[in-house]
Amino acid sequence: MRLMIRSCFILVLYVCSAHAQEWEAPTVMKKLSNGLTVVVSEDHSAPTFGLCIAYGIGFRLEPQGRAGFAHLFEHMMLEGTPDAPKGVLHRVIEGGGGLSRADTRYDFTEYLESGPMSVLEPALWLEADRMKTLDFSLKNLENQRNVVEEEVRINVLNQPYGSFYWLDLPEKAFDTYPNAHNFYSDFKDLDGARIEDVRIFYERYYAPNNAVLAIAGDVKPDEIFSKVEKYFAAIPSRPRTPHANVTESAQKSERRAEETDKLSQLPALAVGYRMPPRNSPDAVVGAVTGALLHNGDASVLYQTLVKQKQVATSVSGGVNWPLGNPFEYNGPTLMTSFIKYPKNVTETQLVSAYDAAIADLARTGPTRDQLERVAAKIRADWFRQLEIPIYRAFTLAHAVLFDGSFDSVYRVPDRVAKVTPEQVRDFAAKYLVPANRTVINRVPASTGKPTSSSGGGK
Amino acid sequence: MKFNIISVCLLLCASLQAQKEAPLPKDLPPYGAQTAFQLPEVKASKLANGLTVWLVREPGVPLVSFRVIVLGGLAVDPADLQGISDLIAKALTQGTKTRTARQIAEQMQAAGGDLETSSDRDTLALATTVLSSKVDAALDILADVLQDASFPDNEVAIAKQNVSNSLRSREAGPSFQANRAMARVLFGSGPYSVIAPTQESLARMTPDELRGEFSRRFRPDRAILIAAGDFDANDITASINQSLGKWKAPAGSAPSAIARPAASTPHTITFVPRPNSVQTTLVLAGFAPLRSDPDYEPTVVANAIYGGAFSSRLILNIREDKGYTYTPGASLDTLREASYLRSRADVRNAVTGASLNEMLYELNRMATTSPSEEEITRAKRYLLGIQAVIFQSRAELTAELADLWINGLGPDGIARYNQKIAAISASDIEAVSKKYFPASRMAIVAVGDEKVIRDALQPFGFPMQPAK
Repeated sequence: MRLMIRSCFILVLYVCSAHAQEWEAPTVMKKLSNGLTVVVSEDHSAPTFGLCIAYGIGFRLEPQGRAGFAHLFEHMMLEGTPDAPKGVLHRVIEGGGGLSRADTRYDFTEYLESGPMSVLEPALWLEADRMKTLDFSLKNLENQRNVVEEEVRINVLNQPYGSFYWLDLPEKAFDTYPNAHNFYSDFKDLDGARIEDVRIFYERYYAPNNAVLAIAGDVKPDEIFSKVEKYFAAIPSRPRTPHANVTESAQKSERRAEETDKLSQLPALAVGYRMPPRNSPDAVVGAVTGALLHNGDASVLYQTLVKQKQVATSVSGGVNWPLGNPFEYNGPTLMTSFIKYPKNVTETQLVSAYDAAIADLARTGPTRDQLERVAAKIRADWFRQLEIPIYRAFTLAHAVLFDGSFDSVYRVPDRVAKVTPEQVRDFAAKYLVPANRTVINRVPASTGKPTSSSGGGK
Repeated sequence: MKFNIISVCLLLCASLQAQKEAPLPKDLPPYGAQTAFQLPEVKASKLANGLTVWLVREPGVPLVSFRVIVLGGLAVDPADLQGISDLIAKALTQGTKTRTARQIAEQMQAAGGDLETSSDRDTLALATTVLSSKVDAALDILADVLQDASFPDNEVAIAKQNVSNSLRSREAGPSFQANRAMARVLFGSGPYSVIAPTQESLARMTPDELRGEFSRRFRPDRAILIAAGDFDANDITASINQSLGKWKAPAGSAPSAIARPAASTPHTITFVPRPNSVQTTLVLAGFAPLRSDPDYEPTVVANAIYGGAFSSRLILNIREDKGYTYTPGASLDTLREASYLRSRADVRNAVTGASLNEMLYELNRMATTSPSEEEITRAKRYLLGIQAVIFQSRAELTAELADLWINGLGPDGIARYNQKIAAISASDIEAVSKKYFPASRMAIVAVGDEKVIRDALQPFGFPMQPAK
């Protein structure tokens, strides 16, 4: 019996040490002569692939007077090309058992395909085809303008809270156009968009040398490189537009706003703190602090506000939330808390309970245990992201787009594990202060308290 | 940082812009050879106490996904405590004899996971994904919750408040209103007619009743544990035996089986008034084959042609061609003892009648004409391909396996499903379409402005009544 216990113990130790080393998928990168960067990561667990082609253009860089244009343009990429008219791409991908989708974010716009290996080659051809040219017709523009406006109606105007925690909050938290305009859509600006704008935007940003193509799945890098060469190499590179300056001058004092909401049942609070730049030594501490405060039922804010003090019914948030994760931003970014609270609690009660939790962190910092738990959670979340080929592909693509290298992707768990309680304490004391934040309180219109209208402007 | 396949599917739907079929580009390379998807081997066993265990070893990312299903969901809730399953799920992880809610949350976090709980009409479920190195810790917590959840009074009070608030939000939404009304139309006052608690039933629930229902339902002989991921099969088997081998069924009797409901429904319109609604939510539903019925797979393919896939007829018609709606679609919803084909669309008020007309037309078109070879091939390819994509996620794989077990099938159900889908012929599809798709088999629910609905739907001549 004793012998058995000991052998179990040894076995457990062995398992632990086997997993203590970081997991990394075989990944290689190559640049075509036209500047297109190609990243390939092998995963032979299923005969499937995930593909992401990410262009270095997002909300931040859309032209002034054309708010929402990056997203409108994403839709234009679905309108087809002279060779593959509207509908062909989806019919081919989905008809082959795959999925396709597109996303617009602050610093990139990405086009994604996932499916059985049998669909990979047609997918590569179709992506290369729409990197060559598009069907620039007024009819297509008008069609997509309507689709986008309908999308905004359903996702924003007809939804409780109207996504104010990611649409209104940055508008108020930042001061310069790139970071502080309506990213989703300003109908007036969209109505003003002309087909010429579409053409210029395409010429400027949808070039091979402004894109990263990442593929993860049941693939062999050499075969992929030669297929990519075959379909993409003839697309000429174009002059790169220098990256616009998107920096902000420092925030000097707390910003507060009130909004009303016609559709929500409960009041809600959004708090946004400005975060340090990507790749600064503080950034990883911010990622850990954001998770410590927001990630799951064990998080500080859930335990304090929802369970202990019962001044909130739900808490969510984090750095670069909800449109991304703390390791994938490339310009001014917030740590956001989105909190719904009961009608019998006042905004003042909620904010003071929130402030007490933050102050506690800034004074004493987390315990070592607490930090280890959070690091384990971030590590597992990160692996979950890398588990699925299409997610691994976009994670690699974003890193290469920002850093020119994917090394950071596999180093995330390790960097997170090295963060100390003192660093978190100091981070909270430096960044999580009222002068560095914006707070929006949004209440159901039926309670009729604040009178100012919702959304928009500053 | 958390994503899931479902959101991919939804977003995909939102991005679909296909319209009339254009010829394929002449240079487009053809599809490669279709590789059969090999499901990793499922090791099925049963512990002495009757707990079913399915293990799928998938080396790679150092994670393991767990899912535990216990039979007995909303359909076995006592009549005066309708929806108590939702509260059981919410409060299940809020304390055991030896752990507080906070300890459970923190220990799960230390293992890298969230312990998620859910309830539906047939089951209660727990699921989590943890680091491979923390499998023992996670099993220990799972076993503790399954055997000794204690439903502390103060935690139940908080959970009740949160369920009540979330119910209030859900009840304001047209989709919940339509589903609630449709469940009553399809199942009358039978066990499957309840999809959520009411504020009144919720107010009546006490910690003692939660404890009573917990011990009635949580028994190893009516449960399955599924694990998928990067683990050592011997180690995990030993850990499972150690943590869950001592789980004993309580003395009382388990909930009795659900009686199979009558599979017919009136062809009438039930409406839910939603004053000032700018849209009408239309839901049509009629009974369909159970998962274990040989008609099931042909009906899945027929549905993919009709409205269950992206290039399907319903979507091309009322979204792409006519632009009536952003959200049309159809699904085959399966319960243990009932299954129904459900079509849905949220449409602008002005096209309420026109949309219902097209939905009825597409249903009858399925029932009366044969789909083209191209449609059949595309639907089959889509169904098989999408499955391989879903299985990339171990958590999704455990969910699919759970669905087999819930419906009385073995782990070979996935391979069988794939074989059956691949072998389906045009005549199989015609047969089930004739049987299950006629519009006259569908009950209709409409949520929206009452006057809009009455004016728009009166010409159809169907009996029309408000929802009960």
